Amino acid sequence: MREYLLARGEAFLSRPPEDWGWITVTKIELPATENSAAINLTSDARYIAPDDDNKDDETVLSVLLPEQVEPGETLQVEIEWKSKIPRTFSRTGVVGDFFFIAQWFPKIGVLETSGWNCHQFHVGTEFYADYGVYDVRVTVPKGWIVGATGVRQSLENNSDGTSTHQYVQKDVHDFAWTTSPNFIERIERFEHESLPDVEMRLLLQPEHEGQTERHFRATRTTLARYGEWFGAYPYTQLTIVDPAWQSGAGGMEYPTLFTAGTSWLAPSKVTRPEGVTIHEAGHQFWYGLIGNNEFEYAWLDEGLNTFSTAKAIEAEDLPNYHSARFFGGFLPYVFQDIPRSRATDGNRLSGYRTAARSDAQSTPTFQYWPGTGGAISYNKTALWLHTLERHLGWENVQKILSTFFSRFKFRHPLPQDFFATANEVANADLDWFFDQVHRSSNVFDYGIQQIGSRPQGGRGFSGDREPIFADRGNNEQFQTDVVVRRYGEAIFPVDILVTFTNGEEVRETWDGVARWKLFTYQRAAQILQAEVDPDSVLLLDLNRTNNSKTMKPMTSIATTKWMLKWMTWLQDVMLTYAFFV
Amino acid sequence: MTITQVFYDGIQRVKAAPAILIGIFLATLILALPQGLILRDMLRAHLGDSLAAEAVATGVNFNWWQEFSAQAKGLGATFSPTIIGFAAVLDNISDLLDNRSLTTAVAGITVIYLAVWTFLLGGTLDRYARNRPIRTAGFFAAAGIYFFRFLRLAIINLAIYAFMMGVVHSWLFDNLYEGWIRDLNEERTAFFLRTLLYVVFVSGLVICNIVLDYAKIRTVVEDRRSMIGATLAGFRFVVRHARRVIGLYFLNSLVFIGILASYAIFAPSVGGVGGSMWWGFLISQAYILARLWIKLVFLSSQTALFQAELAHAGYTAAPLPIAPDSPAAEAIAGKTPRQ
Repeated sequence: MREYLLARGEAFLSRPPEDWGWITVTKIELPATENSAAINLTSDARYIAPDDDNKDDETVLSVLLPEQVEPGETLQVEIEWKSKIPRTFSRTGVVGDFFFIAQWFPKIGVLETSGWNCHQFHVGTEFYADYGVYDVRVTVPKGWIVGATGVRQSLENNSDGTSTHQYVQKDVHDFAWTTSPNFIERIERFEHESLPDVEMRLLLQPEHEGQTERHFRATRTTLARYGEWFGAYPYTQLTIVDPAWQSGAGGMEYPTLFTAGTSWLAPSKVTRPEGVTIHEAGHQFWYGLIGNNEFEYAWLDEGLNTFSTAKAIEAEDLPNYHSARFFGGFLPYVFQDIPRSRATDGNRLSGYRTAARSDAQSTPTFQYWPGTGGAISYNKTALWLHTLERHLGWENVQKILSTFFSRFKFRHPLPQDFFATANEVANADLDWFFDQVHRSSNVFDYGIQQIGSRPQGGRGFSGDREPIFADRGNNEQFQTDVVVRRYGEAIFPVDILVTFTNGEEVRETWDGVARWKLFTYQRAAQILQAEVDPDSVLLLDLNRTNNSKTMKPMTSIATTKWMLKWMTWLQDVMLTYAFFV
Repeated sequence: MTITQVFYDGIQRVKAAPAILIGIFLATLILALPQGLILRDMLRAHLGDSLAAEAVATGVNFNWWQEFSAQAKGLGATFSPTIIGFAAVLDNISDLLDNRSLTTAVAGITVIYLAVWTFLLGGTLDRYARNRPIRTAGFFAAAGIYFFRFLRLAIINLAIYAFMMGVVHSWLFDNLYEGWIRDLNEERTAFFLRTLLYVVFVSGLVICNIVLDYAKIRTVVEDRRSMIGATLAGFRFVVRHARRVIGLYFLNSLVFIGILASYAIFAPSVGGVGGSMWWGFLISQAYILARLWIKLVFLSSQTALFQAELAHAGYTAAPLPIAPDSPAAEAIAGKTPRQ
């Protein structure tokens, strides 16, 4: 957590000691077999800090086995531990009588070709684990509702007023559960002509009962769209948990279970809970089934999923307007004049803009500058994937993603697996693109530097004794100059659309390599406007305003309009505070 | 007089002196205008000759807006969607009740505006108290006389409101509210708790506001010099006539809420340029005018109530302050004997 202190300061950790949680491993043992007695390894365990040698870090425990395990051989290890549930922190814990229990047991590292991959806990990243079978019994007060990874196999009422719920799931890489006496339980079935049925189980807060259908619709959208585009959801159940207010558990993915997130007052024209529900349900594909290492390549699930979420929201045509919340964040206000677009808002361009140069995406995620991981992992990936979609076409990108999905589901793909799949499916070498968007922190920014037309042929100096400036050109023919500039370091081929006053349009293509390029035209009409990347293919372009210039700008009237609105706001500020005199 | 009659009397006094309303409205507009022009220059510099301006003119170009915001500082940083229509009203009241500080640039102009109000208040109250024309010279003479008294009162004002915003607000919302909701996991309940605390806090502000309003009124009507004395006198009046004072304030507040509600319905949306732009601005300015009008009605009706209870209509202890003519003018008029 110490890296977060760099960016957020001590306030980040200011909470009473009793609010923190912990996990303590109390016993590691190789159970007795026919040939040997039980071997207790607990005292051999040592804390290690593979990421930063932090001596105070006690989140990774290493223990050497007495004997080597050969390929194909099986080893049984019994681990006992105690875990204190924290007051909610980083999406796990308790508030009131709402419990969300995640990252609550000691996880086994992942054995890769190069050895064990096991990272320390990092506040800014998520997790990584191998696929396995989970058979978990959870005992809670009788009558409390439990939601968990997998499918409930049994429910036993105990004599002490508790109930034990057994959940089992195979082929998943994590297990989370939740319980509360207040959940409203709703069940609906997802049915699709070409995809397997899924039972959708919604555990809803009573105050959100009116939003039941919004949660189901968003989940159904995800299962259908992602299923059609990338591949089928293979499990029989999906549990949607609507987390309690202040639980901090919202918007998080776990295998076959996810937390959504909404507010008591949730306007229908704002995609909340839909956006977060689609995103977290989408993680069942990008995270749940594609089990990438989130410590190192979070962009592989978060980025692909952010891109897919925006695509699904657009495909579903969900009402999607900008909003703000007032009075302690309780009262929503919808700006019906400001629709949110997939290309910019869905892909979160504004967030990327502020952190674009922070780190190269290829840097291991846990080493990103704290607080910028989201912009690099989520936003930048969504923007470059959408750019790729506009460059190659949706059919190609969809095929890249579905091929990647089918090849690597239930596996742990690496970034190079994705790039290789993309090159192969697109039948093109896209490394020039991935070098810039993934392996570099360079930014894209193309713009029109200047435009202008002048009478053709007659400009210059003339006169016998002293040169004078003369304009003796042909007024019916004009020479037009358009200078296009690459302001950013990154390179991308762009189109330039030049429009003349007679309506004639000329479209140019520029490889975008040089720092600037001059385009010259001789026409009977003067230039009206020029625009670089007129189709907005390059969604990573940080400054689109400089992408165009016109000889008839509406700047003056546009800025007057907004000045008048802002002045009214300022007058209202002054009047509000005039209460005090 | 009944509360309704007092309220009506207050309206009549404001109506009888339209120049005050128009003057304060113009002051509000003129103070905002230079800031608006500065902002316009910022927007203009960022937009340049871009085609993006077309979408900015005809509606909202949200991508451009975010691009502008990413590099904006000072006044530019306040250019957010919450300036649009009724969101501006909600934003400002919400910021006040949640004790969010203004940006430096906006705080500066707001302080100047409050100083202007403090100056105009003496003339305004004097006019409403006399309930007869006092002409421009009389208005500004009174404004000048009471300005320094009100500046001293402003110190008391500042102390009281600083206590309310700094101590009471912090205690209510940072301690009490946070303690109430610590283990609460239902947003609806939290909302009602917070609303309850808003009511408590606003009630506190209103009580302070009423006391300080009557302090100002007593300063003018009774020609008081001591602002501590005026504040105590204001407090005594409020306590002794609590029912009528609060009833009148409530009546005024209802009209104030009615104005806000009307603006919530009729506030202009983004709109385009040309006629719709100016029409939207006119509606917005009508709202500002209505806000100013009700603020003046608060003052005039409270003045009327005070006079009805402790004096009589139109009573002021001090004579109408008229500045003497210059010696030269007096000499010409033969008013001063030659020596």
